[in-house]
Amino acid sequence: MRRLLASVLLMQALCVNFACAGERLLQLVVTQPFLEMRSGPGRGYPVVYVVGRDETVTVLYSRTDWYKVRAPRGQEGWTRRDELALTALPSGAPAPIPPYPDFTSHRWELGGGYGVYNRENLVTAYADYGLTDSIDIEAVVQQAFGTLDNRVVASIGLRHTFIPEWKWFSPTAGIGTAYQHIADKVPPAPLESNNQMAYVSLGARGFITRRFMWRADWRHYVVFNNLNVYEDLEEWKFGLAVFF
Amino acid sequence: MEIRLSSILLAAALLSGCGWFHRGEKPQNQVVVEEPQSDPSIVEPQVNRREVTTPKIKAKDVELGAYFGALSIQDFGVNPVYGARLAYHVSEDVFFEGLVATSKAGTTSLEDEFPQITVVSNAGRHFTYYDLDLGYNVLPGEIFLGRGRAFNSQLYVTVGMGDVKFAETDQFALNFGVGERLLITDWLAMHLDVRDHVFETSLTGRTKNVDNIEATVGLTTFF
Repeated sequence: MRRLLASVLLMQALCVNFACAGERLLQLVVTQPFLEMRSGPGRGYPVVYVVGRDETVTVLYSRTDWYKVRAPRGQEGWTRRDELALTALPSGAPAPIPPYPDFTSHRWELGGGYGVYNRENLVTAYADYGLTDSIDIEAVVQQAFGTLDNRVVASIGLRHTFIPEWKWFSPTAGIGTAYQHIADKVPPAPLESNNQMAYVSLGARGFITRRFMWRADWRHYVVFNNLNVYEDLEEWKFGLAVFF
Repeated sequence: MEIRLSSILLAAALLSGCGWFHRGEKPQNQVVVEEPQSDPSIVEPQVNRREVTTPKIKAKDVELGAYFGALSIQDFGVNPVYGARLAYHVSEDVFFEGLVATSKAGTTSLEDEFPQITVVSNAGRHFTYYDLDLGYNVLPGEIFLGRGRAFNSQLYVTVGMGDVKFAETDQFALNFGVGERLLITDWLAMHLDVRDHVFETSLTGRTKNVDNIEATVGLTTFF
């Protein structure tokens, strides 16, 4: 473990900065009366340099809503996304500062949250890809912690968002297949420790701000077993996610 | 009267006859498209058009690194802990964080007093956890080192949940933390963290919530 951690750090140190050598960087011309450069990527950091109109800045990289830029005389600082978006390319075209992803037509989601699965505490993480604006494919990995057993549940399924244009609250429904592994905590051991399952779900999603969203889900699982008994489980969960 | 009528008829006949002579001429309001004639003196340029691409801006919102420190496992002493951290910064205020770490518990005071008693087997003394956290940078600012050096920093709080595996059993754990991120450069950060992992256990007799507080120092890089 210690060697692994040391390797992680070493590899990071080697590749993060030296990979940039020889890279072409974006040049932008200031079209407003001035462009402010701050000492850090945050609204409270002081302005340390100002670039005037018609001067060119080099954009080094971005962090959240801030862009690290270099002034013509070498000074470096952070400038806000909306201020940098007012600059232009040397050709006169508008600066290619990407806008925030559109929530109603975003493609990727990554998130996690808390829930209750079969009356057990549940930790959940998921990835979601939008095939269209209203149909997503989602993969979920989660762990449930009970007094008698712990369970790991992995699932994949399709989800339909009924009205994706509704930004703040939009209902969803889904269907899919899942797999659960039961790790016994208290004897006796479960008769079957691995099961395939199918589920239906009802839920909702909504926009919070920028790339941030919430999602809530209720699921009903049917467990496929060889015990000749009907077994079903319920789950609800609430999570936060980022979308791209 | 008869002469006047015949002169009008004559004039009309002459005017209508004028159209006959213009039959072969092209109307003046039509555009005439001439067939292109190849001129041997014009040379077609043989230059390949150059594709102009705009460089992309690299986003460095992901933070990856490692940390080590001391973990106080309630009833089992203070022990070294080693971990890895992966974070994604959503905005200048909010970030998501995933942690994985391992430690090894010592002995309880009961085991120290009575060596023949074993509360947890040797294999069960491994304490590993993972956390999924939501973090908020509450106090961004600068730290000054002497007169000429300033480092950006953020004091942040985290709250999250995850799994603690101890005594060969996985437990649901909540965790609460506070930390300081000191940016040595814009891509390299040092972290000082204090975090509490709370979970329910009945290892030492009665069922109770235990607080396992750790203090760590770590290094991360942004990419």
